[in-house]
Amino acid sequence: MLHWFHWLQNTSFATGIRQADLLFPLIEGTHILALSFSVGLIVMLDLRLLRLAFKSEPVSKVMHQMMPWALPGFAVMFITGIVLFITQAEKAYANTFFRYKILLLALAGLNALVYQFKFYPHMKDWDTAPSVPAGARFTAALSLGLWIAIIALGRTMAYEL
Amino acid sequence: MSLDQLWQLSYNSKTVDLLRNSKYAIPLIQSVHLLGITMLLGSLVILNLRLLGLGLRDFSMKTLVNQVWRWGVWGMGIAIASGLLVFLPDPTRYAANTAFRVKLVLLCTAILYQFFVFRRVVRSEAAEVASTGNAIAACFALTLWFMVGWAGRAIGFLG
Repeated sequence: MLHWFHWLQNTSFATGIRQADLLFPLIEGTHILALSFSVGLIVMLDLRLLRLAFKSEPVSKVMHQMMPWALPGFAVMFITGIVLFITQAEKAYANTFFRYKILLLALAGLNALVYQFKFYPHMKDWDTAPSVPAGARFTAALSLGLWIAIIALGRTMAYEL
Repeated sequence: MSLDQLWQLSYNSKTVDLLRNSKYAIPLIQSVHLLGITMLLGSLVILNLRLLGLGLRDFSMKTLVNQVWRWGVWGMGIAIASGLLVFLPDPTRYAANTAFRVKLVLLCTAILYQFFVFRRVVRSEAAEVASTGNAIAACFALTLWFMVGWAGRAIGFLG
């Protein structure tokens, strides 16, 4: 794997970004500020499920209003994240905080899938109800915790690079 | 006591010395700083997408203000408090950094705008319907706060 990452960060694409003065900070800044569109909006769904915000609004409405902007936000983060990784693949691979970040990202993806396939199909049963099923509340709390940890790990990994 | 003396006093204090010499304190505080920024900008993005008529149109502006304004204010408080804790262990380095100075000026402008202009705009009846005035108010808010973010990101790159 390390061999492959070594090749990856020495491609002309990766070295080009590393050597351009402003390109790396610009991509990194975009990666970070896209957080406000992706995580900033998706946590509102988590907070709704936990009844900490939008309490009197249907869950489906909060979800459908946030998603059209949260999903492009995640796409921007994903693409810029991959580009940032390519430019420093070997160092990132060796970085403990980066490894945990990827692990938690996979868990967050899995958690979203559980919500989508287990709870979302029955959402109309509790969409406007005063209580949310414990399982759905659990996925919301887990999502919040995971995103907080992912942001912290992402910020901290910069100190080891 | 002058401001310089205040920084000096804090610089010499045991607590700030602990922050300076701990391996994990600054990365941890920087993480909290970024979490506060995400809360603040997330709430601003929601309000401004609605103000621009680009998204979240099924909610009234009133509902959105009631639901997300406080999260933004909490985020701002967290970002400012954690930001201060990053600044205090190394004030002379930051004070000499051009990006940091620009960030402070933008930040003060953004805070004044947020509480004296933007707060009134989003709470007014006129905020419910998209208009040129609302679009200008929204663009100004987004530009100011995201420029604070970009200036902050530049601090590390300008050394």
